[in-house]
Amino acid sequence: MANFNIDVKAATTYDAIVIGSGISGGWAAKELTEKGLRTLVLERGRDVRHIADYPTTMMQPWEFEHRNQLPLDVKKANPIISKCYAFYEGTTQFFVKDAEHPYVQEKPFDWIRGYQVGGKSLMWARQTQRWSDFDFDGPARDGFAVDWPIRYADIAPWYSYVEKFAGISGNKDGLATLPDGEFLPAHQWNCVEKYFSQQIAGKYKDRHVIMGRAAHITKPNPIHMQQGRAQCQHRTICERGCPYGGYFSSNASTIPWAMKTKKLTLRPDSVVHSIIYDEKKGKATGVRVIDANTKQMIEFYARIIFVNAAALNSNLILLNSTSNRFPNGLGNDSGVLGKYVAFHNYRGGISGEYDGFLDSTTEGRRPNSPYIPRFRNVFKQETSGPASRFLRGYAAGFSAGRSSRTNQEGHGVSLKENLVNPQLGGWYVGSHMMGETIPKESNYVALDKGLKDPFGIPQLKISIDYDENDDKMVKDYQEQMTEMFTAAGFKNIRVRDDHRNPGLDIHEMGGVRMGKDPKTSMLNKWHQLHACKNVFVTDGASMTSTSTQNPSLTYMAFSARAADYAVKEMKKQNL
Amino acid sequence: MERRTALKSLAVAAGGLISLPGWANGWARGSMPANGALLTTAQNELLAEFVEVIIPETKTPGAKSLGIHQFVERMVTDCYEPAAQESFKKGVGIVEEMAQISYGKPFVSCQPTQRNELVTKLSTSADGGQKGFYSLVKGLTIRGYMSSEYVMTNLTHYEFAPARYLGCVPVVSKAVSEKK
Repeated sequence: MANFNIDVKAATTYDAIVIGSGISGGWAAKELTEKGLRTLVLERGRDVRHIADYPTTMMQPWEFEHRNQLPLDVKKANPIISKCYAFYEGTTQFFVKDAEHPYVQEKPFDWIRGYQVGGKSLMWARQTQRWSDFDFDGPARDGFAVDWPIRYADIAPWYSYVEKFAGISGNKDGLATLPDGEFLPAHQWNCVEKYFSQQIAGKYKDRHVIMGRAAHITKPNPIHMQQGRAQCQHRTICERGCPYGGYFSSNASTIPWAMKTKKLTLRPDSVVHSIIYDEKKGKATGVRVIDANTKQMIEFYARIIFVNAAALNSNLILLNSTSNRFPNGLGNDSGVLGKYVAFHNYRGGISGEYDGFLDSTTEGRRPNSPYIPRFRNVFKQETSGPASRFLRGYAAGFSAGRSSRTNQEGHGVSLKENLVNPQLGGWYVGSHMMGETIPKESNYVALDKGLKDPFGIPQLKISIDYDENDDKMVKDYQEQMTEMFTAAGFKNIRVRDDHRNPGLDIHEMGGVRMGKDPKTSMLNKWHQLHACKNVFVTDGASMTSTSTQNPSLTYMAFSARAADYAVKEMKKQNL
Repeated sequence: MERRTALKSLAVAAGGLISLPGWANGWARGSMPANGALLTTAQNELLAEFVEVIIPETKTPGAKSLGIHQFVERMVTDCYEPAAQESFKKGVGIVEEMAQISYGKPFVSCQPTQRNELVTKLSTSADGGQKGFYSLVKGLTIRGYMSSEYVMTNLTHYEFAPARYLGCVPVVSKAVSEKK
């Protein structure tokens, strides 16, 4: 009997456990297995194998019964996920339905989730902009949150490291505010985008319109071909999964790469309940998992644990990992766990028209768009003028396209002819903001005291809201973009504030923030829990502040850097 | 397992024993909607002729032979609120009624010019329900037609994998559908 127990324990013991297989978990898995660690990746959702499990990826538009519109019963059963721009008939299989994993909205919050191998890396928007010191400096300079324990120099080599493997397209723009990376060829501008970029460069010395850096293989390098990935085919239906591996996802890239090392055990349908803390050893020893099929609880053990469950679920797991030593959640001596959650403010938008370049149009499609790096309060906090009214600033997406008009009057032969002979219209232009929100103690997640999810795990209570700083930033974005659009000669300019709920940006961050001081933060500069050093959190939960860049690239770099450190520490017998 | 077998034999038995109540004897082919369908077969046939008026067959197929009426009914059935489904069904009934009043025969038996006249009458009707029915069916017909395999493949030359984005190309004066 004793031997039997030892065998069971050996069979469930690994060198490392990674919780989550999304963009950051995939990277942790790749790095740890490549460095020789027997690694167990726990994924709460089902397995999604590259290509084989992309059921809609080769479907033509007419093959969708409802032409990609959501049936009414799907919408009614799923008011939250139906708000997500990427949730449509061809992608419903990759998003969590509202009833699957309920949560408590103390304030309205649209929690958009993808529970499957690959997580949201299957459906992400693929924008990959680096942070600079103007971002890492934010909290210290402007006196909010806590100082980041790292700076650009710490992360820059890891940005390069992950960019080369993932395949990031872009131009070397030479901007201090948005450092250049290891780029594959950039996507093309269209005439009006190029024109706008030139107009802005001529009128403002501190504002730039650049081509977005995006995780698309515009020209494969040998490292991409070794992954079995090929050049992006510009189908622009990425969120259905890409059979070419044209964009980066865990499924196409890091997970199969880790699998090739023979060190990876991938366990789908494994809902992590909590992390096991051993008080005698003073460290975490493993993970409690509920098998989604059998509902049985199983324990797995490892020397190190990477928590990559996606920002809010990483909070949930730590909050639910209680012990005598940590009654309020693993590593939560400071009481900040679950607090200072922030996100990106996407409320503001603008549209307009341009009547130039009527002899030019575009051909094909582009899975990317131009980008305007933050230009407000970058080099210092303004003390006069409109930007002095708020802290920090916003980045913006921008794009232009040629419209076409179809005369749809009447019916019969003339209508039929008109339909297939659209007339080219003018150019439309549009932009949306991505504003930094300030992490606050009052924006938090916690375990609900009564309600449980279908696995018996406490539901997450989410209490996150905009504040006055966000409102002012929306207004400033609208004013500044109107000024820029007007300066470029755009007409019929219309601004909007869609007052969307937080969460719909799908950029929720924080709650397990990094910091120098264990009294005010959860993680040190290596993403280790201050109070439990063999647990690393390298996803969005670790973010001390949000700045304005799409965050996934930074999570990739964090994960690779932390994995490197963890293995070195294990070799030194420190972990 | 046992339960499933039991249900199966019950179904077989019921199939053999089927007998219609007296009030159902008048049921003719197409007078009842098929399982889960919004329209009866006869109403669906009317809809086929209606969408054919909107997009008729010329040297290329029209909406009827492309099956757009099936798409219209499918969309209304699955993607619209019950109230909209009711006005859709009511609209089909009104078209039939108008055909009977104007020409003394079913819509499907009318001459193409007569059908066109009826559809035109609906499109200019002061009655919100009639106009609404026309707009709903026309909108969905256009959508179904433009996203049909025939049109996207042969007329608008949809590229599933364009493998390029060219930002600035000269405008070609030829209409898209002429490129053959």
